[in-house]
Amino acid sequence: TFTFSQISQPSNKPKKIIWVDCGIHAREWISPAFCQWFVKEILQNYKTDPKISRFLQNLDLYVLPVLNIDGYIYSWEKDRLWRKSRSPYENGTCHGADLNRNFNSSWGSVGVSFNCSSDVFCGSGPESEPETRAVAQFIRSKKSDILCYLTIHSYGQLILTPYGSTTKPPSNNEELMQVAKEAAAALTGKYGTSYKVGSTALILYSNSGSSRDWAHTIGIPLSYTFELRDTGTHGFVLPANQIQPTCEETM
Amino acid sequence: IPESGHKYYLQFSTEDYRTGEDAGNCLATVLYPKKQSPPVVSIKCSHTKDQKEIQEEDNRIYQGIRHQSKPITGNNIPDSYGNIEPALEPVWALAVAGSSSIMWEKSTETLGYFLAQVKSVRQWIRKDDFTEFDYTVLLHEIPTQEILSCHMRLAWLPGHPLKVKHFCASPSHAVEEGSGAESGSAAGPAAEKGALL
Repeated sequence: TFTFSQISQPSNKPKKIIWVDCGIHAREWISPAFCQWFVKEILQNYKTDPKISRFLQNLDLYVLPVLNIDGYIYSWEKDRLWRKSRSPYENGTCHGADLNRNFNSSWGSVGVSFNCSSDVFCGSGPESEPETRAVAQFIRSKKSDILCYLTIHSYGQLILTPYGSTTKPPSNNEELMQVAKEAAAALTGKYGTSYKVGSTALILYSNSGSSRDWAHTIGIPLSYTFELRDTGTHGFVLPANQIQPTCEETM
Repeated sequence: IPESGHKYYLQFSTEDYRTGEDAGNCLATVLYPKKQSPPVVSIKCSHTKDQKEIQEEDNRIYQGIRHQSKPITGNNIPDSYGNIEPALEPVWALAVAGSSSIMWEKSTETLGYFLAQVKSVRQWIRKDDFTEFDYTVLLHEIPTQEILSCHMRLAWLPGHPLKVKHFCASPSHAVEEGSGAESGSAAGPAAEKGALL
Protein backbone atom coordinates (compact mmCIF):
# COMPACT_ATOMS: atom_id res chain seq x y z
CA THR A 1 0.00 0.00 0.00
CA PHE A 2 1.09 3.57 -0.41
CA THR A 3 -0.11 6.95 0.78
CA PHE A 4 -0.74 9.88 -1.46
CA SER A 5 -2.20 13.34 -0.96
CA GLN A 6 -5.49 14.20 -2.53
CA ILE A 7 -6.29 17.86 -2.86
CA SER A 8 -9.91 18.54 -3.76
CA GLN A 9 -12.33 21.34 -3.39
CA PRO A 10 -15.57 19.83 -2.15
CA SER A 11 -18.28 19.96 -4.78
CA ASN A 12 -21.07 17.79 -6.00
CA LYS A 13 -19.78 17.54 -9.56
CA PRO A 14 -17.33 14.79 -10.40
CA LYS A 15 -13.93 16.16 -11.28
CA LYS A 16 -11.10 15.10 -13.51
CA ILE A 17 -7.78 14.22 -11.90
CA ILE A 18 -4.21 15.33 -12.34
CA TRP A 19 -1.72 12.85 -10.94
CA VAL A 20 1.82 13.83 -9.92
CA ASP A 21 4.38 11.39 -8.57
CA CYS A 22 7.88 12.15 -7.39
CA GLY A 23 10.84 10.10 -6.28
CA ILE A 24 10.72 7.07 -8.58
CA HIS A 25 14.52 7.26 -8.61
CA ALA A 26 16.10 7.49 -5.19
CA ARG A 27 19.02 9.86 -5.92
CA GLU A 28 16.88 12.52 -7.61
CA TRP A 29 16.29 14.43 -4.40
CA ILE A 30 14.96 17.59 -6.03
CA SER A 31 11.95 15.52 -7.13
CA PRO A 32 10.40 14.69 -3.71
CA ALA A 33 11.36 18.23 -2.68
CA PHE A 34 9.23 19.51 -5.53
CA CYS A 35 6.18 17.43 -4.60
CA GLN A 36 6.34 18.69 -1.05
CA TRP A 37 6.72 22.25 -2.27
CA PHE A 38 3.86 21.84 -4.70
CA VAL A 39 1.44 20.66 -2.03
CA LYS A 40 2.54 23.41 0.36
CA GLU A 41 2.15 26.07 -2.29
CA ILE A 42 -1.36 24.96 -3.25
CA LEU A 43 -2.52 24.70 0.35
CA GLN A 44 -1.06 28.07 1.29
CA ASN A 45 -2.50 29.93 -1.64
CA TYR A 46 -5.70 28.28 -2.83
CA LYS A 47 -7.89 30.92 -1.22
CA THR A 48 -5.94 33.91 -2.43
CA ASP A 49 -4.50 32.88 -5.78
CA PRO A 50 -7.19 33.05 -8.49
CA LYS A 51 -5.32 30.64 -10.80
CA ILE A 52 -5.11 28.00 -8.12
CA SER A 53 -8.70 28.36 -6.96
CA ARG A 54 -10.00 28.16 -10.51
CA PHE A 55 -7.86 25.10 -11.07
CA LEU A 56 -9.30 23.37 -8.01
CA GLN A 57 -12.86 24.18 -8.98
CA ASN A 58 -12.51 21.90 -11.95
CA LEU A 59 -9.76 19.45 -11.09
CA ASP A 60 -8.57 17.26 -8.27
CA LEU A 61 -4.87 16.85 -7.59
CA TYR A 62 -3.37 13.53 -6.52
CA VAL A 63 0.25 13.83 -5.36
CA LEU A 64 2.52 10.93 -4.43
CA PRO A 65 5.58 12.58 -2.87
CA VAL A 66 7.93 9.59 -2.81
CA LEU A 67 7.11 6.56 -4.89
CA ASN A 68 10.35 4.70 -4.20
CA ILE A 69 10.45 5.11 -0.44
CA ASP A 70 12.93 2.30 0.28
CA GLY A 71 15.38 3.59 -2.30
CA TYR A 72 15.01 7.16 -1.11
CA ILE A 73 15.77 6.27 2.49
CA TYR A 74 18.75 4.22 1.30
CA SER A 75 20.08 7.23 -0.59
CA TRP A 76 19.96 9.32 2.59
CA GLU A 77 21.48 6.69 4.85
CA LYS A 78 23.84 4.61 2.77
CA ASP A 79 24.47 5.56 -0.84
CA ARG A 80 23.69 9.06 -2.12
CA LEU A 81 23.73 7.92 -5.74
CA TRP A 82 21.41 4.90 -5.42
CA ARG A 83 18.69 4.84 -8.09
CA LYS A 84 16.57 1.72 -7.82
CA SER A 85 14.22 0.20 -5.27
CA ARG A 86 15.58 -2.11 -2.57
CA SER A 87 13.81 -5.40 -3.14
CA PRO A 88 16.10 -8.38 -2.65
CA TYR A 89 17.07 -10.56 -5.57
CA GLU A 90 19.31 -13.59 -5.96
CA ASN A 91 19.06 -14.63 -2.35
CA GLY A 92 19.72 -11.15 -1.03
CA THR A 93 23.04 -10.73 -2.84
CA CYS A 94 21.61 -8.04 -5.09
CA HIS A 95 18.98 -5.37 -4.55
CA GLY A 96 16.50 -3.26 -6.41
CA ALA A 97 14.81 -2.79 -9.74
CA ASP A 98 14.61 0.40 -11.76
CA LEU A 99 10.97 1.22 -11.12
CA ASN A 100 10.86 3.32 -14.25
CA ARG A 101 11.65 0.26 -16.35
CA ASN A 102 9.20 -1.95 -14.51
CA PHE A 103 5.86 -0.73 -15.86
CA ASN A 104 3.88 -2.69 -18.42
CA SER A 105 4.77 -0.67 -21.51
CA SER A 106 6.84 -2.73 -23.97
CA TRP A 107 8.47 -4.09 -20.83
CA GLY A 108 11.96 -5.46 -21.25
CA SER A 109 12.38 -4.47 -24.87
CA VAL A 110 14.94 -1.65 -24.94
CA GLY A 111 17.18 0.40 -22.67
CA VAL A 112 17.04 -2.17 -19.87
CA SER A 113 19.08 -4.91 -18.30
CA PHE A 114 17.92 -8.28 -17.03
CA ASN A 115 20.84 -8.33 -14.66
CA CYS A 116 20.00 -7.30 -11.10
CA SER A 117 23.32 -5.53 -10.63
CA SER A 118 22.47 -3.04 -13.36
CA ASP A 119 21.00 0.35 -12.57
CA VAL A 120 18.38 -0.21 -15.26
CA PHE A 121 17.36 -3.69 -14.15
CA CYS A 122 13.73 -3.93 -15.19
CA GLY A 123 12.67 -6.47 -12.58
CA SER A 124 11.57 -10.07 -13.10
CA GLY A 125 8.52 -9.08 -15.10
CA PRO A 126 6.21 -6.12 -15.73
CA GLU A 127 4.92 -4.80 -12.39
CA SER A 128 7.09 -7.30 -10.51
CA GLU A 129 7.90 -4.64 -7.92
CA PRO A 130 5.40 -3.89 -5.15
CA GLU A 131 5.74 -0.15 -5.67
CA THR A 132 4.95 -0.41 -9.36
CA ARG A 133 2.07 -2.76 -8.75
CA ALA A 134 0.48 -0.55 -6.10
CA VAL A 135 0.64 2.59 -8.22
CA ALA A 136 -0.46 0.86 -11.41
CA GLN A 137 -3.44 -0.77 -9.75
CA PHE A 138 -4.61 2.53 -8.34
CA ILE A 139 -4.14 4.50 -11.54
CA ARG A 140 -5.88 1.76 -13.54
CA SER A 141 -8.87 1.99 -11.23
CA LYS A 142 -9.16 5.72 -11.84
CA LYS A 143 -7.95 5.94 -15.40
CA SER A 144 -11.13 7.19 -16.99
CA ASP A 145 -11.00 10.25 -14.75
CA ILE A 146 -7.28 11.00 -15.01
CA LEU A 147 -6.60 13.78 -17.45
CA CYS A 148 -2.90 14.18 -16.91
CA TYR A 149 -0.11 11.99 -15.57
CA LEU A 150 3.06 13.77 -14.44
CA THR A 151 6.15 12.05 -13.13
CA ILE A 152 9.00 14.15 -11.75
CA HIS A 153 12.68 13.26 -12.15
CA SER A 154 16.09 14.92 -12.43
CA TYR A 155 18.32 16.00 -14.01
CA GLY A 156 18.36 17.38 -17.53
CA GLN A 157 15.83 20.20 -17.77
CA LEU A 158 13.51 18.37 -20.11
CA ILE A 159 9.81 17.84 -20.58
CA LEU A 160 9.52 14.39 -22.13
CA THR A 161 6.54 13.07 -24.04
CA PRO A 162 5.78 9.43 -24.93
CA TYR A 163 7.32 7.20 -26.05
CA GLY A 164 10.67 5.93 -24.89
CA SER A 165 10.31 2.50 -26.40
CA THR A 166 9.70 3.64 -29.97
CA THR A 167 10.09 6.74 -32.10
CA LYS A 168 6.60 6.25 -33.51
CA PRO A 169 4.66 9.27 -32.23
CA PRO A 170 1.62 8.83 -30.02
CA SER A 171 -1.79 9.49 -31.55
CA ASN A 172 -2.21 12.87 -29.87
CA ASN A 173 1.36 14.00 -30.39
CA GLU A 174 0.49 17.49 -31.57
CA GLU A 175 -1.53 18.21 -28.48
CA LEU A 176 1.12 16.69 -26.21
CA MET A 177 3.82 18.83 -27.77
CA GLN A 178 1.82 22.02 -27.71
CA VAL A 179 0.94 21.74 -24.04
CA ALA A 180 4.53 20.83 -23.20
CA LYS A 181 5.90 23.77 -25.13
CA GLU A 182 3.62 26.15 -23.32
CA ALA A 183 4.69 24.65 -20.01
CA ALA A 184 8.36 25.03 -20.92
CA ALA A 185 7.84 28.65 -21.92
CA ALA A 186 6.07 29.44 -18.66
CA LEU A 187 8.88 27.74 -16.75
CA THR A 188 11.58 29.71 -18.57
CA GLY A 189 9.63 32.89 -17.96
CA LYS A 190 10.28 32.64 -14.24
CA TYR A 191 14.08 32.55 -13.97
CA GLY A 192 15.31 32.02 -17.50
CA THR A 193 15.95 28.31 -17.00
CA SER A 194 15.69 26.65 -20.36
CA TYR A 195 13.94 23.34 -20.86
CA LYS A 196 13.86 21.19 -23.97
CA VAL A 197 10.67 19.46 -25.06
CA GLY A 198 10.27 16.27 -27.02
CA SER A 199 9.72 12.55 -27.13
CA THR A 200 12.01 10.53 -24.92
CA ALA A 201 13.27 8.29 -27.69
CA LEU A 202 14.21 11.28 -29.78
CA ILE A 203 15.76 13.74 -27.32
CA LEU A 204 17.01 11.48 -24.56
CA TYR A 205 17.44 7.77 -25.11
CA SER A 206 15.35 4.69 -25.74
CA ASN A 207 13.87 2.87 -22.82
CA SER A 208 10.90 0.63 -22.17
CA GLY A 209 8.74 0.08 -19.12
CA SER A 210 8.48 3.72 -18.10
CA SER A 211 5.51 4.94 -16.09
CA ARG A 212 4.94 7.78 -18.51
CA ASP A 213 4.62 5.47 -21.52
CA TRP A 214 2.40 3.10 -19.57
CA ALA A 215 0.05 5.88 -18.44
CA HIS A 216 -0.42 6.95 -22.02
CA THR A 217 -1.02 3.46 -23.35
CA ILE A 218 -3.84 2.85 -20.86
CA GLY A 219 -5.58 5.94 -22.12
CA ILE A 220 -4.37 8.93 -20.11
CA PRO A 221 -4.10 11.58 -22.81
CA LEU A 222 -1.49 13.91 -21.31
CA SER A 223 1.50 12.06 -19.88
CA TYR A 224 4.83 13.72 -19.18
CA THR A 225 8.16 13.13 -17.51
CA PHE A 226 9.74 16.25 -16.07
CA GLU A 227 13.51 16.20 -15.69
CA LEU A 228 14.24 19.10 -13.34
CA ARG A 229 17.48 21.08 -12.81
CA ASP A 230 20.30 21.03 -13.66
CA THR A 231 22.08 19.97 -16.84
CA GLY A 232 25.01 18.16 -15.27
CA THR A 233 27.11 20.64 -13.31
CA HIS A 234 25.72 19.35 -10.02
CA GLY A 235 23.51 16.67 -11.48
CA PHE A 236 21.90 14.67 -8.70
CA VAL A 237 23.51 16.70 -5.90
CA LEU A 238 21.69 19.91 -6.58
CA PRO A 239 22.51 22.55 -3.96
CA ALA A 240 19.86 23.45 -1.44
CA ASN A 241 19.82 27.05 -2.61
CA GLN A 242 18.44 25.86 -5.92
CA ILE A 243 15.50 24.01 -4.41
CA GLN A 244 13.26 27.04 -4.05
CA PRO A 245 13.85 28.53 -7.52
CA THR A 246 13.51 25.10 -9.13
CA CYS A 247 10.19 24.52 -7.39
CA GLU A 248 8.94 28.02 -8.09
CA GLU A 249 9.68 27.85 -11.79
CA THR A 250 8.25 24.34 -12.13
CA MET A 251 5.09 25.50 -10.42
CA ILE B 1 28.37 7.24 -44.75
CA PRO B 2 27.81 3.82 -46.31
CA GLU B 3 30.64 1.37 -45.70
CA SER B 4 32.51 3.99 -43.68
CA GLY B 5 30.65 4.85 -40.50
CA HIS B 6 28.58 7.67 -39.05
CA LYS B 7 29.56 11.29 -39.45
CA TYR B 8 28.05 14.03 -37.32
CA TYR B 9 28.11 17.73 -38.03
CA LEU B 10 27.80 19.81 -34.88
CA GLN B 11 27.25 23.42 -34.09
CA PHE B 12 27.07 24.24 -30.42
CA SER B 13 27.53 26.95 -27.84
CA THR B 14 29.64 26.59 -24.72
CA GLU B 15 29.22 28.04 -21.27
CA ASP B 16 31.26 28.37 -18.11
CA TYR B 17 30.75 25.18 -16.11
CA ARG B 18 30.29 27.03 -12.86
CA THR B 19 28.58 30.27 -13.76
CA GLY B 20 26.71 29.33 -16.92
CA GLU B 21 28.16 32.40 -18.62
CA ASP B 22 28.40 32.15 -22.39
CA ALA B 23 31.90 31.06 -23.37
CA GLY B 24 31.78 30.92 -27.16
CA ASN B 25 30.62 28.77 -30.06
CA CYS B 26 32.09 25.77 -31.83
CA LEU B 27 31.79 23.99 -35.14
CA ALA B 28 32.84 20.37 -35.28
CA THR B 29 32.64 17.16 -37.24
CA VAL B 30 32.85 13.75 -35.60
CA LEU B 31 33.31 10.57 -37.59
CA TYR B 32 32.70 7.23 -35.91
CA PRO B 33 34.32 4.60 -38.11
CA LYS B 34 32.38 1.42 -38.78
CA LYS B 35 35.00 -0.62 -36.97
CA GLN B 36 35.24 0.20 -33.27
CA SER B 37 38.05 2.70 -32.99
CA PRO B 38 38.32 6.19 -31.57
CA PRO B 39 36.34 8.81 -33.47
CA VAL B 40 37.98 11.30 -35.81
CA VAL B 41 37.26 14.83 -34.63
CA SER B 42 37.81 18.21 -36.19
CA ILE B 43 36.77 21.23 -34.19
CA LYS B 44 37.02 24.99 -34.27
CA CYS B 45 35.84 27.27 -31.47
CA SER B 46 35.52 30.97 -30.86
CA HIS B 47 36.28 31.99 -27.31
CA THR B 48 34.55 34.91 -25.71
CA LYS B 49 36.80 35.03 -22.68
CA ASP B 50 39.99 37.01 -22.87
CA GLN B 51 43.15 34.84 -22.70
CA LYS B 52 44.76 37.24 -20.23
CA GLU B 53 41.72 37.02 -17.93
CA ILE B 54 41.92 33.22 -18.00
CA GLN B 55 45.64 33.29 -17.20
CA GLU B 56 45.07 35.62 -14.25
CA GLU B 57 42.31 33.41 -12.86
CA ASP B 58 44.46 30.32 -13.25
CA ASN B 59 47.32 31.99 -11.43
CA ARG B 60 45.06 33.07 -8.62
CA ILE B 61 43.80 29.52 -8.16
CA TYR B 62 47.34 28.16 -8.41
CA GLN B 63 48.69 30.53 -5.78
CA GLY B 64 45.78 29.69 -3.52
CA ILE B 65 46.67 26.01 -3.68
CA ARG B 66 50.41 26.59 -3.21
CA HIS B 67 49.93 28.75 -0.15
CA GLN B 68 48.05 26.12 1.85
CA SER B 69 49.97 25.15 4.97
CA LYS B 70 49.21 21.46 4.62
CA PRO B 71 48.24 19.12 1.77
CA ILE B 72 44.62 19.59 0.68
CA THR B 73 42.23 16.73 1.30
CA GLY B 74 38.48 16.43 0.90
CA ASN B 75 35.52 14.06 0.61
CA ASN B 76 32.16 14.20 -1.14
CA ILE B 77 32.47 17.29 -3.29
CA PRO B 78 29.72 18.47 -3.68
CA ASP B 79 28.25 16.91 -0.55
CA SER B 80 24.87 15.19 -0.51
CA TYR B 81 23.14 18.56 -0.35
CA GLY B 82 25.05 20.05 -3.24
CA ASN B 83 27.42 22.20 -1.18
CA ILE B 84 31.03 22.83 -2.09
CA GLU B 85 33.26 24.43 0.52
CA PRO B 86 34.72 27.59 -1.02
CA ALA B 87 38.24 26.42 -0.10
CA LEU B 88 37.69 23.25 -2.12
CA GLU B 89 36.24 24.90 -5.23
CA PRO B 90 39.57 25.01 -7.09
CA VAL B 91 40.12 21.33 -6.34
CA TRP B 92 36.64 20.57 -7.69
CA ALA B 93 37.34 22.65 -10.78
CA LEU B 94 40.50 20.65 -11.46
CA ALA B 95 38.49 17.45 -11.01
CA VAL B 96 35.99 18.64 -13.61
CA ALA B 97 38.78 19.38 -16.05
CA GLY B 98 40.58 16.11 -15.36
CA SER B 99 37.41 14.02 -15.53
CA SER B 100 36.66 15.45 -18.92
CA SER B 101 39.75 13.71 -20.21
CA ILE B 102 38.48 10.42 -18.79
CA MET B 103 35.11 11.05 -20.41
CA TRP B 104 36.79 11.89 -23.67
CA GLU B 105 38.51 8.53 -23.68
CA LYS B 106 35.54 6.51 -22.56
CA SER B 107 32.62 7.99 -24.45
CA THR B 108 31.36 6.34 -27.58
CA GLU B 109 28.64 7.01 -30.10
CA THR B 110 26.17 5.58 -27.56
CA LEU B 111 27.73 6.22 -24.16
CA GLY B 112 28.16 9.58 -22.46
CA TYR B 113 29.19 10.83 -19.04
CA PHE B 114 28.77 13.51 -16.44
CA LEU B 115 30.78 14.09 -13.28
CA ALA B 116 28.42 13.12 -10.46
CA GLN B 117 30.65 13.71 -7.46
CA VAL B 118 34.23 13.82 -6.26
CA LYS B 119 34.32 11.05 -3.68
CA SER B 120 37.74 11.94 -2.31
CA VAL B 121 40.78 14.02 -3.07
CA ARG B 122 44.28 14.11 -1.65
CA GLN B 123 47.09 16.43 -2.61
CA TRP B 124 50.61 15.09 -3.16
CA ILE B 125 53.30 17.68 -2.61
CA ARG B 126 55.94 17.78 -5.32
CA LYS B 127 59.42 19.25 -5.36
CA ASP B 128 58.79 21.06 -8.65
CA ASP B 129 56.17 23.74 -9.36
CA PHE B 130 53.38 21.37 -10.39
CA THR B 131 50.43 20.77 -8.09
CA GLU B 132 49.39 17.12 -7.96
CA PHE B 133 46.17 15.51 -6.76
CA ASP B 134 44.87 12.03 -6.32
CA TYR B 135 41.12 11.70 -6.84
CA THR B 136 38.33 9.19 -6.69
CA VAL B 137 35.65 10.57 -8.97
CA LEU B 138 32.18 9.20 -9.64
CA LEU B 139 31.00 9.41 -13.22
CA HIS B 140 27.35 9.13 -14.18
CA GLU B 141 27.08 7.03 -17.34
CA ILE B 142 24.22 7.64 -19.81
CA PRO B 143 22.08 5.80 -20.84
CA THR B 144 23.05 2.87 -18.62
CA GLN B 145 22.56 5.09 -15.53
CA GLU B 146 25.52 3.41 -13.89
CA ILE B 147 27.85 5.22 -11.54
CA LEU B 148 31.45 4.57 -12.45
CA SER B 149 34.17 4.97 -9.85
CA CYS B 150 37.47 6.19 -11.28
CA HIS B 151 40.82 6.74 -9.70
CA MET B 152 42.40 9.83 -11.22
CA ARG B 153 45.88 11.25 -10.83
CA LEU B 154 46.24 14.81 -12.00
CA ALA B 155 49.14 17.27 -12.24
CA TRP B 156 48.74 20.96 -13.07
CA LEU B 157 50.79 24.07 -13.64
CA PRO B 158 49.19 27.15 -15.22
CA GLY B 159 50.24 27.52 -18.81
CA HIS B 160 50.76 23.76 -19.23
CA PRO B 161 48.28 21.15 -20.42
CA LEU B 162 46.70 19.16 -17.62
CA LYS B 163 48.38 15.79 -17.06
CA VAL B 164 45.86 13.08 -16.25
CA LYS B 165 46.11 9.38 -15.57
CA HIS B 166 43.08 7.29 -14.64
CA PHE B 167 41.81 3.85 -13.84
CA CYS B 168 38.10 3.11 -13.69
CA ALA B 169 36.52 0.18 -11.88
CA SER B 170 33.62 -1.68 -13.45
CA PRO B 171 30.20 -0.23 -12.50
CA SER B 172 30.13 0.27 -8.71
CA HIS B 173 26.98 -1.71 -8.07
CA ALA B 174 28.47 -4.76 -9.71
CA VAL B 175 31.19 -4.67 -7.08
CA GLU B 176 28.45 -5.07 -4.47
CA GLU B 177 27.98 -8.61 -5.72
CA GLY B 178 31.24 -9.61 -4.15
CA SER B 179 33.64 -9.63 -7.03
CA GLY B 180 36.14 -8.25 -4.56
CA ALA B 181 37.58 -5.54 -6.74
CA GLU B 182 38.84 -2.72 -4.54
CA SER B 183 40.15 -0.58 -7.34
CA GLY B 184 37.64 2.23 -6.96
CA SER B 185 38.57 2.97 -3.36
CA ALA B 186 40.37 6.00 -2.02
CA ALA B 187 43.29 3.88 -0.88
CA GLY B 188 46.65 5.55 -1.35
CA PRO B 189 48.22 5.11 -4.76
CA ALA B 190 51.02 2.98 -3.42
CA ALA B 191 52.22 1.65 -6.72
CA GLU B 192 52.12 4.97 -8.46
CA LYS B 193 54.23 7.30 -6.39
CA GLY B 194 56.83 9.69 -7.65
CA ALA B 195 57.44 10.19 -11.30
CA LEU B 196 54.04 9.05 -12.50
CA LEU B 197 53.38 12.15 -14.47
